[in-house]
Amino acid sequence: MFKLGLGKYRTIIVLITLFLVFDVGVLAMTFLISKQIASDAVSLNLAGQQRTLVQQLTKTALLLEQDATQGIIDSSGQSSFSELKELIGTADQFNSTLDAFHQGGRMVEGRGKVALTPQDDEQAAEQFKLLEEMWVPINVELQKIKQLKSDTKPDLGPLLQVLVADNLNLLTVSNMLTSRMESLSATKATNLRIVQVAGISLALVNFGFILYFFLRQLRTSDRAVERAQKETEDILRTTQEGLFLLDTEFRVGLQTSQALSKILGISDLAGRDFLALLKPIVTPKTFETAKEYIELLLRHDVKEKLVASLNPLDCIEVSAAQPNGAIESRFLNIRFNRVFDAGKVTHLLVTATDITRRVRLERELKESERKVQDQMGMMVHILQADPSLLQEFLRNAIKGLDQINEELRTGTATAGMSAKRIDMLFRISHRLKGDANALKLEAIAQSLHAFENLLDGLRANPSLRNEDFLPVTVRVKGLYAEIHAIQDALTRVAQVRGVVTVEPPKPAQDPAIAALPFVHQWRNFAQEIAQRHKKAAELSYQGLDLATLALPLREAINSIVNQFIRNAMTHGVESPVERKQRGKPEAGRISVYVSDAGDGYLELSFRDDGAGIDPEKIREAAVRTGRLDATAAGLADMRKLISMIFEPGVSTRETVDEDAGRGVGLDTVKDMVARMGGRVRIGTTVGEYCHFRVQLPLGGVAANASIMDTNQEAA
Amino acid sequence: MIFKLMIVDDSNIIRGKISRTLTQHNMEIVATASNGEDAVKQFAANQPDVVTMDLTMPRMDGLECIRKLRHMKPDLRILVVSALADKSTAIQALKEGAQGFLCKPFSEDDLTDAMDELLGESHG
Repeated sequence: MFKLGLGKYRTIIVLITLFLVFDVGVLAMTFLISKQIASDAVSLNLAGQQRTLVQQLTKTALLLEQDATQGIIDSSGQSSFSELKELIGTADQFNSTLDAFHQGGRMVEGRGKVALTPQDDEQAAEQFKLLEEMWVPINVELQKIKQLKSDTKPDLGPLLQVLVADNLNLLTVSNMLTSRMESLSATKATNLRIVQVAGISLALVNFGFILYFFLRQLRTSDRAVERAQKETEDILRTTQEGLFLLDTEFRVGLQTSQALSKILGISDLAGRDFLALLKPIVTPKTFETAKEYIELLLRHDVKEKLVASLNPLDCIEVSAAQPNGAIESRFLNIRFNRVFDAGKVTHLLVTATDITRRVRLERELKESERKVQDQMGMMVHILQADPSLLQEFLRNAIKGLDQINEELRTGTATAGMSAKRIDMLFRISHRLKGDANALKLEAIAQSLHAFENLLDGLRANPSLRNEDFLPVTVRVKGLYAEIHAIQDALTRVAQVRGVVTVEPPKPAQDPAIAALPFVHQWRNFAQEIAQRHKKAAELSYQGLDLATLALPLREAINSIVNQFIRNAMTHGVESPVERKQRGKPEAGRISVYVSDAGDGYLELSFRDDGAGIDPEKIREAAVRTGRLDATAAGLADMRKLISMIFEPGVSTRETVDEDAGRGVGLDTVKDMVARMGGRVRIGTTVGEYCHFRVQLPLGGVAANASIMDTNQEAA
Repeated sequence: MIFKLMIVDDSNIIRGKISRTLTQHNMEIVATASNGEDAVKQFAANQPDVVTMDLTMPRMDGLECIRKLRHMKPDLRILVVSALADKSTAIQALKEGAQGFLCKPFSEDDLTDAMDELLGESHG
């Protein structure tokens, strides 16, 4: 359906239309009434003329009668010819005027013809009728005279008789008619004034309304504009982005955001040529590409989203001098969005953002990723490398770097760095680089290569100053850091190796071995404790028959395993409900393995799949039992904490029962192992397992003292 | 509406990837060409609605090919699919009459999104 959509202008348009209607109405009425008044004026004249004609007719008839009796001859030689002619003419004029009054028609009046409308006023019509009735006998006589031949002398007697008789009446009726016409005309003039006054008054009232609504609308619009302008100003003042419109002539619009000047480092941007502003802050190639890109957006039928990746200003680096004289480098992102009006691109909305922080973060992230990759690569090489060669390289590297440092210190402090000294630094570096390459420590080799390049640059400089060696010193510091990083990595690898090798290879299950009495005894013992604690356990054994071992060793192993079983079933293995929740079998799995570890040692491996050792619980227990004060406990590392389970009086159990809680048990294991010259290692992951590996000398007490290692894979 | 597509790229792998992706995206592959000259011949015979165009190709490069194709069919929709070695060359291609640019390497979603943008929201 067609809709005008006048919106907020509806009232004003209605009022203006009314105003026009009033004006046109007043004009139309004025025109009509004026026309009637004009017509009435003619009627009035003609009515007066009729009165005159009656008098003229009477006068002419009397003159003709007088001529006839006195024999007066006129100028044409014929008696009373002109009077007669006048008489007939007067009569014709009276007749035609009467007809016009009666039926309407065109009449000669003054210098031209005027149109008469039939009289519709009743009073005037009656007077016409009366006039007509009086005129009929006179007209009859007049027509008779008119029809006489020109040489026949007319008999004016009958005419005079009716004329004289009705003359006064005709005059009276004509006067009344004239008065009536005057009255009618005056009434119409009054009506005209009323219509004009009323029409103009209405138009004025209407105009008042128009003015009121128009001003109100204007005020509302002005307020809306002011509010919008204020909002725009607020946005432009507050936004952290540089915003402006760019016209098709590449000129910056008059409104720009406050941040723009700061971001671009240029003030008073409004109205300036954007390309001229851009030129000094980007490379010539970027400038040309940017110009083409802007032209593309302004003048070509392309999809804005699909060309955004071609924006050469998406990340530009700009440098500006700071008040303190330093040069500050920043990164800007300037992007363009097309502004359409009636389907045509009229402007580009330009958004400039300072992305320095983002770019730096991205670079740091990349650098960090690179470092991680380098470290990963280094770890792989470290794992593959011969540990003794690696240790030797690290020792040499530190020694070499110390030498370089010393040369730099003494050289710059005394006579200056000679070419000979530089050559020496070069040789040290080159030797280390060769070693690093041999061990496939590529990151170190690259750093040493960069160090050599620096030295090369210095060798080419004939007039060296001490400050020229600053980059060399910085590079040496970096090399120290890299060597230390390798040392750290090596330590970690050693730890991982410890854990990885905790699980020795197991032979296939031997049913005969599994059914041996000592295994049976361990199983029963595990079951007993499990029942007491409403737990379940399954113990499996693989490895040597203990009967083949010397008695002291056999007893020691048995004692240690019993202690480990007690420890596992009270601390490690969870309740069946808890195990189920953790996705483990309801019964705890304990595996025991005794094997010949070579080099005269026997290895006992005891592993349970319980909750593992929680260092935080040990930390609490250590404080609770007074083994450590709160500060020392807080500072204790995992290794220290886990080793504390072997100390007397430390138990993570808060209640005491026959199986645990007094903090005795593992400390006896430790003592026993120490006495026998063996060592204990622990591998544990909280929530997953606890693994003890005990090495005991096969041939009695070993020469070395007890060693205890703990390895904790995850807290 | 099913749009008729011509793929112009000297890499068989890229042609295959575009073909597979856009066939599943309601487009009909009417021709493929490995160079500009072949593209012009194929274009005359198959009258595609849309062309994906590589820029660096043997015999006739993408720029000249775009110029010729636009001359043959002024309302042709062209998506430049090229590695972003030189932004200026890509901009030249767009000035010659291509409407969009997709940078290699691209994902299937990148390609279908670009095609939707090129052909209007209703497609796809």
